[in-house]
Amino acid sequence: MFSLYKKELQSFFFSPFAYVLTALFMLIFSFAFVTAIASMDSNVLKFSFPGIFYDNFFFFIFIIPILTMRSFADERRGGTEVLLLTSPLSVGKIVLAKYFSILTVFAVMMFSTLFFPVYAAINGQVMWSSLICAYLGFYFWGMVCIAVGMLLSSLTGNAIIAAILGEIIMEGTLLVDQIGGTALVNAYPKLNSAISWISMQRRFIYFSQGMFRLEDLIFFLSAAAVVICWNIIAIEKRRWSHS
Amino acid sequence: MVEIKNLSKYYGRNPAVKGIDFEIRDNEILGFLGPNGAGKSTTMNIIAGYLPSTGGTVTVNGFDITEQASEAKKCIGYLPEIPPVYPDMRVEEYLTFVAGLKGVPRKERKAQVEDAMAKLHITDMRRRLIRNLSKGYKQRVGFAQALLGNPKILILDEPTVGLDPTQVMEVRNLILELGKDHSVIFSSHILAEVSAVCQRVVIINKGEIMAEDTIENLEKNLTADTVLNLTAEGDKDKIIRLLKDIRGVNSVADVKEISENRNLYQIELAEESVRNEIMSVLLNNQCSIVEMHLAKLNLEQVFMKIIQEKKKSSLEQLIDETKQSNPYDEEV
Repeated sequence: MFSLYKKELQSFFFSPFAYVLTALFMLIFSFAFVTAIASMDSNVLKFSFPGIFYDNFFFFIFIIPILTMRSFADERRGGTEVLLLTSPLSVGKIVLAKYFSILTVFAVMMFSTLFFPVYAAINGQVMWSSLICAYLGFYFWGMVCIAVGMLLSSLTGNAIIAAILGEIIMEGTLLVDQIGGTALVNAYPKLNSAISWISMQRRFIYFSQGMFRLEDLIFFLSAAAVVICWNIIAIEKRRWSHS
Repeated sequence: MVEIKNLSKYYGRNPAVKGIDFEIRDNEILGFLGPNGAGKSTTMNIIAGYLPSTGGTVTVNGFDITEQASEAKKCIGYLPEIPPVYPDMRVEEYLTFVAGLKGVPRKERKAQVEDAMAKLHITDMRRRLIRNLSKGYKQRVGFAQALLGNPKILILDEPTVGLDPTQVMEVRNLILELGKDHSVIFSSHILAEVSAVCQRVVIINKGEIMAEDTIENLEKNLTADTVLNLTAEGDKDKIIRLLKDIRGVNSVADVKEISENRNLYQIELAEESVRNEIMSVLLNNQCSIVEMHLAKLNLEQVFMKIIQEKKKSSLEQLIDETKQSNPYDEEV
């Protein structure tokens, strides 16, 4: 399993792929950073980052499907899927190895953005508690999105289609909130509470305010686990009904 | 040893393999022969554990390929039709990765990779990106991959496709070499290759096994009738009449006119000794014999004959079946 994990990481870092994405990620982050500083009140004493994360989402969410689109689609197209599936590794381990490698790339991308808070801390004051929580929340959200992106890659078998579908679904998860805010949905309290339960953005708000709630952690982890299991089943299912 | 019992595979409602049985014995090279679309690749994919079967079992060294997949897959080295290589990796890097994937202990990986590269003569290419290799070299990298982990059973799906004649010879020799301590099953639609390498062949067509035997037996059984090719000078009708009158001649066909007054005939004999009689009859009737030789079917013809015979018989069977299911047809 470690061999596959290592190979996947190599395929990201021995090509411009990971670097271009990280650069793009930092670019988006720096735009949000500059805008946040420009629009800052003069009576703010401590610099808080969650707002920046918040502004970032709409752009950042587009990066994840690009990160995950090739994971299974390329294996299928290149005929290397045979190699993996005839190896002694089980499908579960194959999916997990790929998942962990993308999580690692994602962690590197997150790490690169630490530049901004560190820079802000040198020149001013930063609310570290809410910053750390925001980073964690951001990462957990990313874990779910990566699992979804991988599932799409394995279901469609085509990197471009997987990326486009991924963008739509990611946008959809953000729009759930807008829908939740409409008068129509608010007229039905039960529907509203259901929507706010599945809304990842609302869960992120708690993190961004420096609150680490077990409930949210479990939500993100279990959502990621469900999607990964779905992926494993989808691959097995396609083998059995291969045509 | 691999045992295949009553194996079948349906893609939707289309059968690709219909209940086949055969086995691959220890240290044997088995040829798997059939025209395109016969079900060769499907069968090999199932044996290698890539595709699950619809029915039947595959047992590899005592491990069921679906029940004890991991153990069974450790005994198998598989080279699929399209070599499963990553174009963005270097040869050595790729092979080291595959060795890890197959669970070769870290210490042994380097030695095994070196060994596999040496066997396939790709040591010079170790630093090259696979993307930049020619088709033949990619095929060899794919082959080297199958040898990693020292599997006892090798499944090779058309291993010589895309290779030049010298490389084909090298790969054949390699297969012969490997056959000493491995069980090898290898598919091909090139018959010369199969007869050069294999001890035993399984012929498959349309998902069914047509024949399973050693090459000598196949050739022997299917050439029970002795066929004589005769080139003679003289009046065609007269020669045919004379030949047909000889006892022991089953049929005479005039195949083609070679030049004026000289024709090639194909004669089926009940037994070989009739040819002396033919000679004397023709000479007594002032017909001169230019050439005469016994025809022996080669594997190519055996193959065609098997496939055609079965086609005919399955057609007859189909007609019988429709007759049985529509008993009113004849009355109408």
